[in-house]
Amino acid sequence: MMSSFIGFGRADGSVGIRNHVLIMAVDECCDGIARAIADSIDNGIVVTNYNTCMYGGNEEMINTMVHTGNNPNVAGVLVLAMGCGSIDPEIVAAPIRVSGRPAFSLVCMKQQGTRATITQGKALAQELQQVAQAAPRIETPISKLVIGVKCGGSDTSSGIASNPSVGRAVDKLVDLGATAIAGELIELVGCETILRQRAVSPEVADKLERLIHEEEARWHVDGAEVETMSIGNSVGGLTTLEEKSFGALSKTGTRPIQDVLQINHLVHEKPKAAGFYLSEATHLCGSAGMHFASLGAHLILWTTGGAGFNNPIVPVIRISGNQYLLNEDIDIDASGIMRAEEGVESVAERIVAKVGTVAQGGQTNIEEIGYSYCSLYQKDQRLETLLRFKPGC
Amino acid sequence: MKKAIQLDPVDNVATLLVDAVKGDEIEIISTNNQVIDVVTCLQGITFGNKVALTDIADQQLITKAGYPVGVAIMAIPRGELAHVQNVRSQRLDIPDNIIEEIIKQMRIEQA
Repeated sequence: MMSSFIGFGRADGSVGIRNHVLIMAVDECCDGIARAIADSIDNGIVVTNYNTCMYGGNEEMINTMVHTGNNPNVAGVLVLAMGCGSIDPEIVAAPIRVSGRPAFSLVCMKQQGTRATITQGKALAQELQQVAQAAPRIETPISKLVIGVKCGGSDTSSGIASNPSVGRAVDKLVDLGATAIAGELIELVGCETILRQRAVSPEVADKLERLIHEEEARWHVDGAEVETMSIGNSVGGLTTLEEKSFGALSKTGTRPIQDVLQINHLVHEKPKAAGFYLSEATHLCGSAGMHFASLGAHLILWTTGGAGFNNPIVPVIRISGNQYLLNEDIDIDASGIMRAEEGVESVAERIVAKVGTVAQGGQTNIEEIGYSYCSLYQKDQRLETLLRFKPGC
Repeated sequence: MKKAIQLDPVDNVATLLVDAVKGDEIEIISTNNQVIDVVTCLQGITFGNKVALTDIADQQLITKAGYPVGVAIMAIPRGELAHVQNVRSQRLDIPDNIIEEIIKQMRIEQA
């Protein structure tokens, strides 16, 4: 594979593989305004907070917006608010400016309404686009990449073909010096003993076990039972929850776990050094895309039967081992493993090569057309309090 | 020949890559496509399900991809389907009525 890529240099020293301008609406009332502004530039992407325009209890979502604004693939940000809600857009814009990125904010009511805000917003978006175009092109080693690892739309082929292939690719990328981050702690129930052995320290092992336990408790509260195994899973060949979890685990490779990155209203942890990490990135696909963006990921490796999840900020490389569900959305065909025609090692090499191509600017199969909504996930603070979790410790 | 994949050398089960019927001889391959064994299916086993590679004793762990994925609740002879009718979770069991439904839907021939 290629050992370096020409990326877009940012003031904070990071290098992006894409050059996006984010238009962020801190309340849903500004979504239409944000879209009108984003449509006026080539590389505009909308992120809207649909949770609530109230501030109290939504700090986790604000954190995710701020850290997404600081993603290396982002050149600059415009933050919008209607003006009647509680969230001052500067709460998002000011911390982004600390990274050296331009971040403007507009309040619709102060701008004398929607049309005036769109006019002013378009002018600011143009300015941000010029900043993006002026970003210095920097030759960057592949080892500087941060890669999210995720599965979705899984089927019986995932545990045999796509997940082990991604796991092997993750090992290769980590060995090259890159950083890989997996999330979906709910999918790792039953794997705690194995994961503890991979943790770099007893502290990380304890943190890992605690956060998996919390995620299990969060999704299994009385009155809201969650199916961990469907009849379809079992008919497809999965016998136990452990088997399902270990299938998901195989996409994380085998390298030491440096830390488990917490995402909550007090902290938003990011990798401090290269290596493999777990994180609280959710198992819900759309929201996971934003979580990985906020953790600083450049791209995502995503295993599936045949679905086509996408994220407009962080390119998604899709890998499937199911020959019956393969379609043009899938970037890496791992079905040769299921037909006993290709090995895991060989598919892993193709995945690593694809990472190099996408880092260099090569588009994923549906990057331009597969727009998917930028979901902002946050834990319900009332539930967290009832479960007596202690965030940030 | 029909194939099943053993994901780790320590595994006592392999996953069928096609549907097999009783009496089929199945080539067991490694993740690098090396044929390492040939097993005769003692019953019909569908795509994605697991065949026992050794005689597995009652209470012995079922190991797949190098990990313990459950425990045998009866002896499972080499060549039999290892699934909900003879394996249980050590963590969180599927309810009995759901197991019955799975056995019915899959038409598993019980030993």
